[in-house]
Amino acid sequence: MSIEPMRIFFKEIKEPITTTMIGNYAVAGGVTQTDPDVICAFPITPQTQSVEGLSDVVHQGRLKAAFVNVESELAAISFSTAACAAGARSFTATASQGYLLMTEALPMAVGWRLPLTMMISARAFNSPNLSIWNSWEFTETNSEMGWNCIVSENVQETYDAAILSVMISEDSLFPTMFVHDGFIISHSVQKLTLIPDEAVRQMTPKKPRHTIDPSKPGTWGGIVTPSYFMEGRKNLDEAKKPVLNQMREVFSRFKKFTGREYDLIETYNLDNSSKTAFCTMGSMCGNIISWMLKNKDIGLIKIRAFRPFPHEELRKIIEEHNIEKLIILEKSDSLNGMLPPFSMSIATALYPLGTLFRSFIVGLGGRDVTRDEFDVAKKKMALVSDMNGRLYQYLGVRETKGNIYEVDY
Amino acid sequence: MLTAEQLKEVLKENVINLRFHARGGQGGVTASNLCVEAFYGYGVCQPMFGAERMGSPTESYVRLSANDDLVRTNEQVYAPHVVAVLDPSLLGEIDVTAGLAKGGWLIVNTVLNQEEIQGVVGRKDINVGTIDATRIALDVLGRNITNTIILGGIIRVMPIFSTDALADAIMRRFKGEVAAKNIAAIKQAIEETCVYDIGLDPDFTIDTKVPWQQVFLGLPGYKEVDKAGVWYCDEDVIEIGSGQVNTGSWGEYDMIWDEEKCTDCAQCWFICPDFAIIREKGEDGLWHMKGIDQFHCKSCQNCLEVCPVDAISKKLKQGPASCAVPEDQEGGS
Ligand code: SF4
Ligand code: SF4
Repeated sequence: MSIEPMRIFFKEIKEPITTTMIGNYAVAGGVTQTDPDVICAFPITPQTQSVEGLSDVVHQGRLKAAFVNVESELAAISFSTAACAAGARSFTATASQGYLLMTEALPMAVGWRLPLTMMISARAFNSPNLSIWNSWEFTETNSEMGWNCIVSENVQETYDAAILSVMISEDSLFPTMFVHDGFIISHSVQKLTLIPDEAVRQMTPKKPRHTIDPSKPGTWGGIVTPSYFMEGRKNLDEAKKPVLNQMREVFSRFKKFTGREYDLIETYNLDNSSKTAFCTMGSMCGNIISWMLKNKDIGLIKIRAFRPFPHEELRKIIEEHNIEKLIILEKSDSLNGMLPPFSMSIATALYPLGTLFRSFIVGLGGRDVTRDEFDVAKKKMALVSDMNGRLYQYLGVRETKGNIYEVDY
Repeated sequence: MLTAEQLKEVLKENVINLRFHARGGQGGVTASNLCVEAFYGYGVCQPMFGAERMGSPTESYVRLSANDDLVRTNEQVYAPHVVAVLDPSLLGEIDVTAGLAKGGWLIVNTVLNQEEIQGVVGRKDINVGTIDATRIALDVLGRNITNTIILGGIIRVMPIFSTDALADAIMRRFKGEVAAKNIAAIKQAIEETCVYDIGLDPDFTIDTKVPWQQVFLGLPGYKEVDKAGVWYCDEDVIEIGSGQVNTGSWGEYDMIWDEEKCTDCAQCWFICPDFAIIREKGEDGLWHMKGIDQFHCKSCQNCLEVCPVDAISKKLKQGPASCAVPEDQEGGS
């Protein structure tokens, strides 16, 4: 890593450049290129370098943005939301407990239809112990507040997501968070191709929208009695309906500029002999794709758009490819529910189809997920023939010093 | 008018609903609580949910029946059989007979007669009881608190609970002399209530709730509300802004401004919580104080306190509104 990791963004990028970077700096670079007016975040592992990187480019003078230091994540989200309401393109970032501390202010950016963007370096919540490593905290809470959410597999994707999120936010007028797995992507150096600044400028024009304007005074978020609140919520619900299509349009515009192809859901080898597919998000997709080189009898469904959840698209894919069994892998659990949150979304989508599935909870708190998990999950799924009994299980956890829970090896 | 025995029969398989109209601080909620406590059967009392402020119009609801499943619902009361109004100034401000069943009772603390009341509320199909509760309160309690006294009016026209049961409830809630005085006041109120009986009783088997009333048709729908919870001052998207609220009716005083003494320092303008200080830009290009907006001034007296030259004074309101807002607490204690 160079002393000045952001140096490449200090001057105009004229041609696509292929380089290597950690995920967080790549995000800082992507955000730089979208020319934000306000950057306001509180550092938290494993998100830190994204904010540091941005402070570098602001300090160097390349990016003319207000870099605002605040005392907490609640302050960061409040400031970013207000700045966005005032008309500024704003960026913030967080993880884990910081995300929880933001909770109180998260619904406002949705309600006010603000195109705010936020990066999340996914990290476990502290329970029962503190962990700075990867879990999918972003699926566990706050995911029903109405933010858009896209999930990236690798450094290239998370860099692109920094730009895509601005496009999605601006088109939908809903805030968008983009997520990569903490440490696994935030801190690993990978190859990526940077987009020329001019292309980013063209993809992310600053469009007029409603903002706080002293010449047009009004009340933002004033109290309403029960005679109004529900209409306001339904108004938001309607506004959310076109968002998945808007995302698709964003992806196709992005492809025209970069040649890189994204979709709400991406699929691999679905027409396989076992009529079975893994379904997951984020960095694990890469692990599975490598493993699949030797396991050609199974497919992969990679969810990119986690919120809004593409129910119909998923259903269509399952039907078109006659998938009979899904192996859901997810990095969060649910101590109370029938299923952890990612699986819950999938189960709801699958309900009319009756597709068989099981959910495997893997990789919590940064435990590595390897071909061992995939082999066992695949074997277990082969034995499943109905939806009776337990629908999820932890995979890759010690039961005693001498054995692994429900794994014979 | 129905007797206590007839009402007992009604209450076996029916609900009797009551609604109390008062102003914040007058104890309307206490009155409705006491109904439930005094009633031999099952009862629910609900205040109108929200923020209650001193002097602002309040509502509370009571649902009574001998059948506990009938009062198990947590719905608000839409179709009262009895409406009690503790403060006559509300008659001009609130539609107090909304939903009141035909043959139902309207009981008002007032010095007006019953026909006049029928005229004010525009209903000929209801019975009216009036009572000068303010005078009784001042005579017996020594303070203008009418919430328990109005219950005497209810016992008189619709004895759903007995005077003794109400006295018990009051003794459980208040102590010694305060309780005794309240009970004496209630007894006097039962005597002094003027009854205007049109010879019609409510049909307790009919539900007079307007279907879907709770959805407030006539207000903007979700396709019509402004984007993103924002209301611009120049767009009347939501008619019920605070500008439309007659906070002026909440207060006890008229505030008076003395133009001669005023130095235009604007301190009152800064401190006024209701933007009730009117200022205008003069020909000299400067802003000058022009007066007090009585529709919104709730006589909090902040301006009076802050004015450095005593240019603001107060005068007790006359007329029906003068009985608003007791000094300290509610509940006749
Ligand atoms: S009393 Fe004075 S400060 Fe209070 S509401 Fe009236 S004008 Fe405003
Ligand atoms: S505070 Fe007194 S002197 Fe100052 S503007 Fe108000 S009324 Fe006039």
